[in-house]
Amino acid sequence: MALSSDKKPAQVETTGHVWDGDLREYNNPLPRWWLWAFYASIVFAVVYWIMYPAWPVFKTFTPGVSTLTIEQDGKMVEVPWNSRNLFIQEMQTSPSAVRQREFVDKVSNASFDQILADPSMMAFARSMGSGLFGGNCAACHGQGGQGNLPSYPSLADNDWLWGSSFTTISHDIEKGLKGNMPGFPTIQGAALTDLANHVLSLSGIAVDAASATRGKAGFAVCAACHGAEAKGNPMLGAPNLTDMGWSNIDVVGAPTVDAKRAMIEGVISKGIQRQMPAFTNRLTPVEIKMLTVYVHELSGGK
Amino acid sequence: MTMSTTVGTLAGTQAKPLAGKAAAVDQYNYDIVKKFAIMSLVWGVVGMFAGVWIASELAWPFLNFDVAEITFGRLRPVHTTLVIFGFGGSALFATSYYIVQRTCQARLWGGRWLPEFTFWGWQIGVAAGVILYMNGFTQGREYAEFVWPLDLAIAVVWVAYFLVFTMTLVKRSQPHIYVANWFFMAFILATALLHIFNNLAVPVSLTSLESYSLFSGVQDAMTQWWYGHNAVGFFLTAAFLGMMYYFVPKQAGRPIYSYRLSIVHFWALSFLYMWVGTHHLHWTAIPDWTSTLAATFSILLLLPSWGGMINGVMTLSGAWDKLRTDPIILFMITSLSFYGMSTFEGPLMSLKSVNALSHYTDWTVGHVHSGALGWVAMITFGSFYHLIPRLWGVAKGMHSTKLIYVHFWLATIGIVLYISSLWVAGIGQGLMLRAFDEYGNLGYTFIETVTFMHLPYVVRAIGGMFFLSGIIIMVYNVYMTISGAKRSVEVDVTAGSAAVAR
Repeated sequence: MALSSDKKPAQVETTGHVWDGDLREYNNPLPRWWLWAFYASIVFAVVYWIMYPAWPVFKTFTPGVSTLTIEQDGKMVEVPWNSRNLFIQEMQTSPSAVRQREFVDKVSNASFDQILADPSMMAFARSMGSGLFGGNCAACHGQGGQGNLPSYPSLADNDWLWGSSFTTISHDIEKGLKGNMPGFPTIQGAALTDLANHVLSLSGIAVDAASATRGKAGFAVCAACHGAEAKGNPMLGAPNLTDMGWSNIDVVGAPTVDAKRAMIEGVISKGIQRQMPAFTNRLTPVEIKMLTVYVHELSGGK
Repeated sequence: MTMSTTVGTLAGTQAKPLAGKAAAVDQYNYDIVKKFAIMSLVWGVVGMFAGVWIASELAWPFLNFDVAEITFGRLRPVHTTLVIFGFGGSALFATSYYIVQRTCQARLWGGRWLPEFTFWGWQIGVAAGVILYMNGFTQGREYAEFVWPLDLAIAVVWVAYFLVFTMTLVKRSQPHIYVANWFFMAFILATALLHIFNNLAVPVSLTSLESYSLFSGVQDAMTQWWYGHNAVGFFLTAAFLGMMYYFVPKQAGRPIYSYRLSIVHFWALSFLYMWVGTHHLHWTAIPDWTSTLAATFSILLLLPSWGGMINGVMTLSGAWDKLRTDPIILFMITSLSFYGMSTFEGPLMSLKSVNALSHYTDWTVGHVHSGALGWVAMITFGSFYHLIPRLWGVAKGMHSTKLIYVHFWLATIGIVLYISSLWVAGIGQGLMLRAFDEYGNLGYTFIETVTFMHLPYVVRAIGGMFFLSGIIIMVYNVYMTISGAKRSVEVDVTAGSAAVAR
């Protein structure tokens, strides 16, 4: 531990003040390089102030001499430098903005069928769509659209609750969706088991046949939405119950028939309530169009 | 109040107890310094543990355990408050009370109870604040999350601190005020100003912990960052320069390099810092002219900041031989180097074109930590290793010099891992967020940038673990030093000697 002070001779005089026994100060001049670098930073600041908006003066400010050239009403005009004009200029002239606008114009005027038929427009839709999907849809539906049970259905399979036409998908993104199945808490005991077995049997899952047959009568109440054939109704978002496409419970992954039946029973008792927000105020029409193409293609493009 | 009548002994570094009355009336109030020093280390360990925990949460999100109180959003202000105000603040109270007494040759003003009030007020304020954050009560202002009743209480404590410090200066028995005290004075005044104006708010009701800021929109943002950056400028820079100006020449046993430089850079620093906060808001809804002023004043601030570094490094420059034998000098030179580096990086990041890349990325977080770990914590560690043996009167110094070396290397490796991984994370994310593909669309989604940052986040968490284990070793070393001191006092007493090394 170095507690003692070394007594090297001073190169310059100290100020003569001493504190706390041994605290002294040399009076070295300011290092030249430091001083000149400080002056240089002052010059830099002054030049910056002359170039750009800088000092407030009463209700206005010094605008700076720097200008930008932007296009206004079809004419090129010189405008003062400010961040808003800089943004306008970048959107008008930067290579990526120009390239994007070129495609945006093209796809805006094309029908879905034309986009589908044109490889370059499809490539653009994939490029824009994947970004939009990642930023807006992936948080719930997953990065690849694989869904997240129980609330968020898969968008990667070919099972469409609300229909798969371009106009339907685009409408659903714009306005959002409310998926609602009422719960039937009054169905209990054997009646519930029978009904659940019946629902499982619709997809060809081997269950207690007698019980499933008994449950058929109870399905009448379900048929109101899911249809007598249980093929579903996209107008209501009621899924097909015969195709093994389960959008909110993992029936396929359940290890035993009993576990599968318990899942179905849960849905019958509690119902389903889920909601997707409307994106009409968050995305532009072109963005929704590109997202529609992208989502449609996620499921294999059917 | 106990007034000292001791004549300043210029030759010795040890304060001389009053003859006759022995230890009963010490020349200096060391008790309060000891208390703050110990609490600084306690908060340091807890706060840095919180930091390591939240860094780990970012790397391995399961560490949330779905407990609201320990999620990142709640623990982040716990971490910043504990390390800035708990660790840093207590260290500043301790060192400023020590330095002002020794350089003024005057006992701390305010009798026994006013300094004691600043201690309990500060500790209770910090503890209550972080408990409330974990329960969801926050003002939502960065580094000023305390709810309004605590803001009021802290203001009262701060006024008491101002009085204790200033009145001790007033009754000094030295003709001149030492440079370290200028910096502490600037720190105390500026912090009062910042704390009061940034926290102006209207409570929802007198029984509610919630309040509305007096400012709105852009004005609110600018007030917040006027506060936020000056918290860096006056709390984390000026005050720690005060610490540096005392402990570096003391430890090196050499005079300060340049009195003239200290005057020039003190006033330049004090004047310039107040302008730069808006550089945290480049490319937002603020007027362009405010952005320009913030950027240019940040550039102007570079050399005045370096003035402190130069004065410190040049003071040490006659004592390079001690680098081989004295790990405390190692802490000091390293802290000054990180101070120089982060005060170069800061103005660079304040330029609008650089900021367009760095803003909203972890480069900012890395930059803050190169200042916070590299400068603030390292100069505190160095100063404490000098201070602790003197407070407890241990003539041979710290319990273990080897453990100081171990602490130094753990801390230094930790900082290097921390800031270099966040350069990668921050610059990488910044480049990804601004990348376009061949169609002019965004090249990456946000989640892809998060995936990219996983590895740097892991390295950052490991860097934090290094730093944390360093301070834990320091705490052990300090504990052994103090308990050793107590043992030797007992031995002295049994031997019939009342001479206690002070």
